[in-house]
Amino acid sequence: MTDFAERDGPSVTEGAPAPAEAVRTRGLYKRFGRQVAVAGVDLVVPAGSFAGLVGPNGAGKTTTLSMITGLLLPDAGSAEVGGSDVWRDPVAVKAHIGVLPEGLRLFERLSGRELLMYNGRLRGIPKDEVARRSEELLTVMDLVSSADKLVVDYSTGMRKKIGLAAALLHNPRVLFLDEPFEGVDPISANTLVEVLRRYTSSGSTVVFSSHVMELVERLCDWVSVMNLGRIVAQGPLSEVRGGQTLNEALLHLVGARATGEQGLSWLGSPGA
Amino acid sequence: MAWLFVRLKLRLIAGNLRGDAMRQIGFVFTLIAAAAVALGGFALIALLRFAPQDVAVDAGMVIFTVIALIWVVGPLLVFGVDETLDPARLVLFPLTARQMAVGMFAASATGPWPLASLIVLLGAVAGLARDVSGLLIGLVAVPLHLAFCLVASRTVTTALSRLLRSRRGRDLLAIGVVFVVLLSQVPNLVINRGVAGPPLELLAGLAALVRWSPPGMAAHAIAGGGLLGLAELAAVGVLVIVLAAVWVAVLRRTLVRADSSTEAASVGRSRFDRLLPGGPFGAVVAKELKYLRREPRGRMGWLSAVGVSTVLLFSLSSGPGGLSGASLAIAVACLTALMLGLQGVNVFGIDGRALWMNAVVYSAPRDLRTDLAARHLAISLAAGPAIAVLAVAGALVAGDLVWAVPALLTAAGALPIALGVGAVTSVITPYTYPQRVNAFTSAAPGQGGVAVAGSFGAMLATALLAAPVVIPVLMGVTWLSVVAVPYGLAVAYGGRRLAATIGYARLPDLLAAVSRPS
Repeated sequence: MTDFAERDGPSVTEGAPAPAEAVRTRGLYKRFGRQVAVAGVDLVVPAGSFAGLVGPNGAGKTTTLSMITGLLLPDAGSAEVGGSDVWRDPVAVKAHIGVLPEGLRLFERLSGRELLMYNGRLRGIPKDEVARRSEELLTVMDLVSSADKLVVDYSTGMRKKIGLAAALLHNPRVLFLDEPFEGVDPISANTLVEVLRRYTSSGSTVVFSSHVMELVERLCDWVSVMNLGRIVAQGPLSEVRGGQTLNEALLHLVGARATGEQGLSWLGSPGA
Repeated sequence: MAWLFVRLKLRLIAGNLRGDAMRQIGFVFTLIAAAAVALGGFALIALLRFAPQDVAVDAGMVIFTVIALIWVVGPLLVFGVDETLDPARLVLFPLTARQMAVGMFAASATGPWPLASLIVLLGAVAGLARDVSGLLIGLVAVPLHLAFCLVASRTVTTALSRLLRSRRGRDLLAIGVVFVVLLSQVPNLVINRGVAGPPLELLAGLAALVRWSPPGMAAHAIAGGGLLGLAELAAVGVLVIVLAAVWVAVLRRTLVRADSSTEAASVGRSRFDRLLPGGPFGAVVAKELKYLRREPRGRMGWLSAVGVSTVLLFSLSSGPGGLSGASLAIAVACLTALMLGLQGVNVFGIDGRALWMNAVVYSAPRDLRTDLAARHLAISLAAGPAIAVLAVAGALVAGDLVWAVPALLTAAGALPIALGVGAVTSVITPYTYPQRVNAFTSAAPGQGGVAVAGSFGAMLATALLAAPVVIPVLMGVTWLSVVAVPYGLAVAYGGRRLAATIGYARLPDLLAAVSRPS
């Protein structure tokens, strides 16, 4: 497929061997006031992998992804995508990444189709090509019947799907998804998974954060575990979980304490 | 139950203030305002004692009606500020509709504004009562009228609460707010232009209109006293009870009816889009033009700018110091251009949390410059016709259609000046538009100061930059209007350049500033 998003500037050329690492951060650090959100993250994601970024709430996953995608300025450290520094060489990076940030932040007053057209044209893809790709994406995402409704009236699942479609429109090399499956019904989740599998099978990279360990276990071949703003484990899925389920491995890694049985004695006893 | 709701309301007021200095200051101002309204209102109505009897009664009836209207319309404009008022939040508690009605009535009687209303109304007892029976009736009529105001206001908000919770309803309401604000200018214009004859006749006419409404009867009962007063009092009491029954019935129905907010209509595909060039410039122009039509906050700003300009056309031309001749047409057109240009002081605010979609694409200041230019073109496409209409209207009111030409030229220069300045304020003082539309705030909590600073700075800078051209033209050097357009375009270009350089360097901050939770 022709990459129309290729802007002027010496980005990674098609012929050259792609770097083995799609994403690499060194000592990424961010604090908000006194709260250190990300305390020196060295994230590595090999090219072509389906990578999961997991960890409890407040571990710093969203902040890390925002800094890698150029939406949040890090206080220290560096982030590279496809061998180019995100903050020093934004032209090379931004043309080749697709992003679905947390919180379903979309242009609410555009219809689904208009949102895709807007994204494609913003990236300099010719109008006819945007229209063609949009129709295909709308069909695959099963959004054709809602394509002319305003995004503000979409359900959570529909919003995630249109957001993913917008992120895929320019055929990025690396896709960053923040909680893509949160609040999504099983049918839509299945569609999302199918599209993402097809996308990675051609050698593109997906990095996504999630709380749903079963899903990460089923989809990912690479896992990075975050806790308290740091990477606590990272590597191929089989290595990270080491014979246990990923859920058990995670509980062990973040040192979760067993929930006590004390209290709540009234709960469940009928008529108490 | 009533006491529980009163405590809930007090707790909500206190919780809202905790740890937020801006809100605490805001609340102190609310208290000061309520106290001022209470004392000022009391004094003003009490002064009716010194007016002739019939004038005092007429004024009292009209004032009581106005207070009731404020109670009905006011909460609609700020709907959502107070959780005790939304029955949807109470559905899951095991309460009967009657219990809920009593509780919500008690909650809405709690707070600074109900107390202020009570004090203002008590002024009527001092101002209207002529004998002991009037005084005694007044002491009952005032709480009864307050109860009428509260129940009427509750009934309307409850009946509309389903609509108000839906997206479409809130969109409609946002437009309603503009009309209410503009309507408040009508009495001003009517009195200034003497349309309805002498003020006293106008008052008598209004009083006759509301004579048999509950507020009218309550006020008349206080003034008249005696047996007729007692009868009127009884009638108001019965009406309050009937209205309360209606409210309970509406409440009962509202609680179990489905929410209609998920029924979504489709939008047509725009033909105009095809005329626009491909690439980011065309994309942003197309998006902005759609947002002008579809985004309620945008529409609010545009409608009020055009509305205020129309009001200005009449108020500038009337009165002893009124403008006339070419300067009237020019002043009206330029003020319209300024006010429409001010819609661009926070151009990224309208994108809000979606602005990241642009930020993940833009990789040089040039990209941001293209974006700003596209937004300016979209605003100009919409503002142009409005300015033209007002320039022609101004010229017609002033007496010679030819005056529309310099007016239009000067305004066409003033608009890009405002836009260029707005581009810079958009990146220096960006702020988030509040999620909930209401008539009284324009920025997310804590950003009100930034919003005001941005708007005032933009207004001042625009006035200073426009002065070299606009003032000579107003003074009669009409030929200078020819250079207004190139001058304005140059200022706009400079503004965009500066804004793009500043804005690109702080793109992540910009993003955070317009995506605050609100």
